[in-house]
Amino acid sequence: MNSPDPGEIFRTEAQELLEQLEQALLDLETAPEDGELISSAFRALHTLKGSGAMFGFDAAARFAHGLENAFDLVRKGKVAASGALIGVALSAKDHLRLLIERPEEASSDESARILANLAKTIGAAGTAETAAATDEGADGATQGETSSATYRIQIRFPEDVMDNGTNPLLLIGELQDLGTCTVSPLTERVPPLDDIKPSACYVGWDVVLTTEKPRSAIEEVFIFVLDDMDLRVEKVEETSKRLGEILVERGDTPPDAVLTALSNQQRLGEILVKDGAASKERVASALAEQRHLTAAAAQAPQKAQPLQDSIKVPAERLDNLMDRVGELVIAQARLREIATASQDLALKVVAEEIERLASELRDNTMGIRMVPIGSLFGRFRRLVRDLSRELGKKVQLFTSGEETELDKTMIERLNDPMIHLIRNCIDHGLERPDVRTQAGKLQEGRVELSAVHSGAQVIISIKDDGKGLDRTRIRARAEEMGYLAPGAKVTDNELFQVIFQPGFSTSREVTNVSGRGVGMDVVKRTIEGLRGAIEINSTEGHGTEITLKLPLTLAIIDGLLVRVGLGRYVIPLSMVEECVELTPEQNLRAKNRNFLSIRGELVPFLRLRDMFNVTADAEPFPKVVIVSAGDLRVGLLVDQVIGDHQTVIKTLTKLHADVETFSGATILGDGSVALILDIDHLIDFGRAQEERLKAS
Amino acid sequence: MAKTVLTVDDSASMRQLVKLTLGGAGYTVVEATDGADGLDRARSAAVDLVVTDLNMPRMDGISLIKELRKLPSYKGVPILLLTTESDDDRKKEARAAGATGWITKPFNQDQLLGVVRKVLGS
Amino acid sequence: MRRENGKDLEVLTFGLEGEVFAVEAESVREILDLVSVTDVPNSRPFVSGLINVRGKIVPLADLHIRFGMAPFNQSVDTRVVVIEVPLAGEPTTVGIIADKVFEVTNLIDASIEEAPDIGLKWRREFISGIGKRAEDFVIVLDMERIFAMGDTETVAQAEAAAKNHS
Repeated sequence: MNSPDPGEIFRTEAQELLEQLEQALLDLETAPEDGELISSAFRALHTLKGSGAMFGFDAAARFAHGLENAFDLVRKGKVAASGALIGVALSAKDHLRLLIERPEEASSDESARILANLAKTIGAAGTAETAAATDEGADGATQGETSSATYRIQIRFPEDVMDNGTNPLLLIGELQDLGTCTVSPLTERVPPLDDIKPSACYVGWDVVLTTEKPRSAIEEVFIFVLDDMDLRVEKVEETSKRLGEILVERGDTPPDAVLTALSNQQRLGEILVKDGAASKERVASALAEQRHLTAAAAQAPQKAQPLQDSIKVPAERLDNLMDRVGELVIAQARLREIATASQDLALKVVAEEIERLASELRDNTMGIRMVPIGSLFGRFRRLVRDLSRELGKKVQLFTSGEETELDKTMIERLNDPMIHLIRNCIDHGLERPDVRTQAGKLQEGRVELSAVHSGAQVIISIKDDGKGLDRTRIRARAEEMGYLAPGAKVTDNELFQVIFQPGFSTSREVTNVSGRGVGMDVVKRTIEGLRGAIEINSTEGHGTEITLKLPLTLAIIDGLLVRVGLGRYVIPLSMVEECVELTPEQNLRAKNRNFLSIRGELVPFLRLRDMFNVTADAEPFPKVVIVSAGDLRVGLLVDQVIGDHQTVIKTLTKLHADVETFSGATILGDGSVALILDIDHLIDFGRAQEERLKAS
Repeated sequence: MAKTVLTVDDSASMRQLVKLTLGGAGYTVVEATDGADGLDRARSAAVDLVVTDLNMPRMDGISLIKELRKLPSYKGVPILLLTTESDDDRKKEARAAGATGWITKPFNQDQLLGVVRKVLGS
Repeated sequence: MRRENGKDLEVLTFGLEGEVFAVEAESVREILDLVSVTDVPNSRPFVSGLINVRGKIVPLADLHIRFGMAPFNQSVDTRVVVIEVPLAGEPTTVGIIADKVFEVTNLIDASIEEAPDIGLKWRREFISGIGKRAEDFVIVLDMERIFAMGDTETVAQAEAAAKNHS
């Protein structure tokens, strides 16, 4: 090609732009308020950034970005074009020239130094933005999926869509290029001929697409018009479906109308059209989808996966598998109920066989979801490095137990709380190097992350060798906030738990690092949301250790099913020690003290009927389920113990976030819902209720 | 017949890149150095697609789009805007002004060609 | 109002104590018979139940209580309308009890009026508009607001608070 290389042109152009920038900066010294000069400097930087990145001058582009952000603030009037700022900008301009003309001679430390200087000059208003420019861009490309899926795509454009130069037919054509496509145009919005505006788009489209591309590729097609149009993309199962199911799923027909039509025993589509329950076109479009799906379902089994030692599976599929296993476990519970009630020996044998298989399948599936925690620890190296630099503290990170496996969802949700805890460690826990030397410690502080399995739990610890928690200050603050009665005797653990109260912070200086974002109360809530617990140990002068105790999985637990009044509840079996009967005499005797003697040891118990405001008749022989929560043994008085129950845990929605006594819910064999007791919170709630009773 | 693309940019290297890429794919490319220049050229030539930068002296990209949409012959002609990540919030403004779509810098030649084919057809 | 101009609003109409209410049809997932509700002890009376919707556990809300009516009384017409509402930014499936479900219908744009300040029995924050269907008024509810409201706030309290302000 005989055209000149754009990279070469950029270099020439950059010289002009840098001169334009220099001139603007020099003129600004005498006229710092001149808007045209500021725009001129901003535009030069903007072009240097945009074009620089285009032609491979990445370092220059990043650096120009930092400068551009600063001048954007000037342009918006948030920062003044002071003499100091212009001084820094001029030196930045020289450095930028070097980055473009002789990049091999420019050092990245110098870039960082100048940007830091710039940040200091423009003050807090710009730190976040200029700092962002030194950060490396997005990491790794996303993985492409290779399996195919079928999507139902409902496309409705605004009538004026073509005014902006969008051609709907091209977009539909693009969709067709993505895979196997069935397109049904919908013309019901087309007005009578006289009213038609030639530049308007009245047609909608229903498209069924089978593609190997991810869902985002479909949205990508419409990216320019996404905000103005109505686009619905739904994944549909590649199975033969009935017409009525499709119409209802697509929201074209109410379910009742389908049922009515079905009971008439004619061709469904015809009836629905006749009844006016769906337009002829919509039914035709649904029929087209039906044919597409049937064809796709016939195709699907032919695409066999090549044999491999290990395969990569999208996380979504694992979640789906887990859901199916959950449903299987629920169905199996129903089968067991039927088999138990039945006299049929053969049925009982099969039911037991299926129970064993379901339980093995459950364990295997959960095994697939387990991921080593090392992947999480690895992310914190960078964090620790950045923080130590930012805070001027020397820190070394040690990790152990990286091979410990945890459910992948759990690992994802642990990310934020762990970041917060590590930040706290380095910001508040570790001392500055000079202070450490005075205290006779190594200059370099230690932060240790470790993970270890313990029964059905994983224990994660975050430990530092810093100054430890200041009990006096925490106590003072706790009393001030009203979390602790003045002079009350509390254990260390109880005192430290106060840190997790909302709004609690003893930090005198709010730093950039831990002064922002979430508080410890959010950390605690997240850990408890994972059905975990958090503990603190600290020795003044020697450091702090925070321990997280978490269940191995979030998905399924073994539970004990009990009845209280008419409601059924699940108690996590791992916390149950034993069940005993409460005789009427004991019950009477215990009326006012709620203590029970178990083999000579006094155990307090909670009357769940009272706590849950049950009015239904009580059993004459209630049961007490003894549970252990930490070092505490507590009895739960229930009406009936029903038996073991494999519990598929479903979380409650935010609407029930205020009810802390339940950690989730599950579906029983008969299809009804049972709540899962959160033992720790239940005990707290019981105590609070007792206090209230005593007080009144 | 070869389709005509008008590239409006104050950066000569960007215009050159657009010209190389689209010229190589068989389009005729006309250049303009800023919004005002772009408007003049758009008036005097039949253009099938406009590719314009956002920040330019004299008349910026969004004003250019608004002016073009006022011309009867430019109703329905696709207009693409060249933007950078930091202009993200201006895309909405550009859509409202009448832009058909946008290309985010940095992009490579294939990406540019892909977006052009998306709005012009291949 | 989140309604876009020039578009009809497709709604599902239902009855609560003789009044006709409506939700945007777009948010409706399905309509079910009311069977087996599990009580959540110590929860807010307005959302005191859970139901099983095809293997999903869904909170059941009684709008009667939200609107200061007596709690619902099950009859042959009682239905659960399963809708999806954003709660703190997360789409959440919720069941609401209807004494009766009428139809899916279009309220044309012109007939939807902004809720007037006075002459309303219900808090206007709950209402996204009032439509006319034949001669009847249809109250289009703003489900997001209804579910987003404070923990303990009841309609009566909120109204009292509103009065004190004016």
